[in-house]
Amino acid sequence: MSARKKTKRKLTAETVRQKLKLKHLEARRRLSQIHPHVEKFFKSKGIDPGKVRQHSARILGAGAIAGTLLLNPPTNIKSLLPPHELFEKFKAQKKISERGQNEGLIVQILKSLLPERPRPLTYQEEKFLEQVFQNIIGVKSKASLEGEHLNTTYGYIGAEQHLRRFPGDSLYEHGKEILEEGMAPGLGAWGYFAFLKEDLTRDLIDIEKWYAVVQTLYLPDWNIRTRYLRDWYKYRKVLIVDTLNGKVVVAAVADSGPAAWTGKHFGGSPEVMDYLGGPTYKKGLVVLFFVDDPENKISLGPIEYNENIVPKLNN
Amino acid sequence: MSKLFYDHLITLDNLEREISKITETPEEKEEIWQIIDEMVHHRVLGCILDRLPKEHHHQFLSLFYECPYDEKILQFIEELVEDDIEDLIKKETKVFSQEILQEIFRKG
Repeated sequence: MSARKKTKRKLTAETVRQKLKLKHLEARRRLSQIHPHVEKFFKSKGIDPGKVRQHSARILGAGAIAGTLLLNPPTNIKSLLPPHELFEKFKAQKKISERGQNEGLIVQILKSLLPERPRPLTYQEEKFLEQVFQNIIGVKSKASLEGEHLNTTYGYIGAEQHLRRFPGDSLYEHGKEILEEGMAPGLGAWGYFAFLKEDLTRDLIDIEKWYAVVQTLYLPDWNIRTRYLRDWYKYRKVLIVDTLNGKVVVAAVADSGPAAWTGKHFGGSPEVMDYLGGPTYKKGLVVLFFVDDPENKISLGPIEYNENIVPKLNN
Repeated sequence: MSKLFYDHLITLDNLEREISKITETPEEKEEIWQIIDEMVHHRVLGCILDRLPKEHHHQFLSLFYECPYDEKILQFIEELVEDDIEDLIKKETKVFSQEILQEIFRKG
């Protein structure tokens, strides 16, 4: 058995936390010794240099991205044709080219609108996409719902593991499909789905099967409105649209993450990821909006839509 | 918390995987994530300031304070340093990840 395996067994979160805390102090001390003006600068602005991420979220949350960028507004904002014009344009192109590509209409629209590298979308871009999704996919979804908005609605989704649904739950109780991702060692952000196996309803089984992970921990007011936000996000339905293949799934938020330093912004259960991109799909570029479903009529799982059905267009 | 201008250069998935194995509750996991996030931030700032001519430090910090999410800050740095700053940040965080993993699994 390797030294790492031997050590790992003895490791606890507390010992790791203590070790990292020391390294953290060391990193902070190094920076302030070599560049003392950094700490002075941030102090004069009233923020802790280590907490600049919260500061960023506050600015983004205030809608600064729309108009007050210090350098320039994002150059990769593409001009938005009204949805009906864009739809007609792509339909016409498709007829003319008679190409054998399977790219859906939605993929073409997203390609024409979204930058290659993810960034927080502008208000106008999000509003536009809401219309596109409702008209083509047929699901009413919103970037902002009941005043809540994620830090970003366009980003990378990464593969997550199954979540433990009740004490004693095992991987094999999750069904025959998609077991290779394994079971997450810890619990999801909302703990067990049920305290007893007998209390696990069909709805809860579906939630774990089709779950999404969003970065609630990085919301600017997470520490202020924790209780409200925890309740609001628990099992909140989201629409996930893969921007490269147009596949769409409705999932329920059941965990918080991923960490900001992974380069990912969302997570998907093994079933979500399998549907979006197949068994080898570990990371994908998606748009994620809240599903506006006050009457709870939309089921979790894949959304099959027919791109050839001419959608109803509002404008 | 949200986006910082260098986020797309940082992909420490292996570190996240190891931490998931060690932590049992979401609170433990998030606290460790936060510590690592701050360490990454100190390392990236150090990496940039070590190379950026001193007379531009204040402007860089001001830009960072005003628009911490704006990737154009990287363009600003690139114009003032000889090295490929994106590459340097990637390398620096790779080293950082190895150091942290060593530290985690170090005995004692």
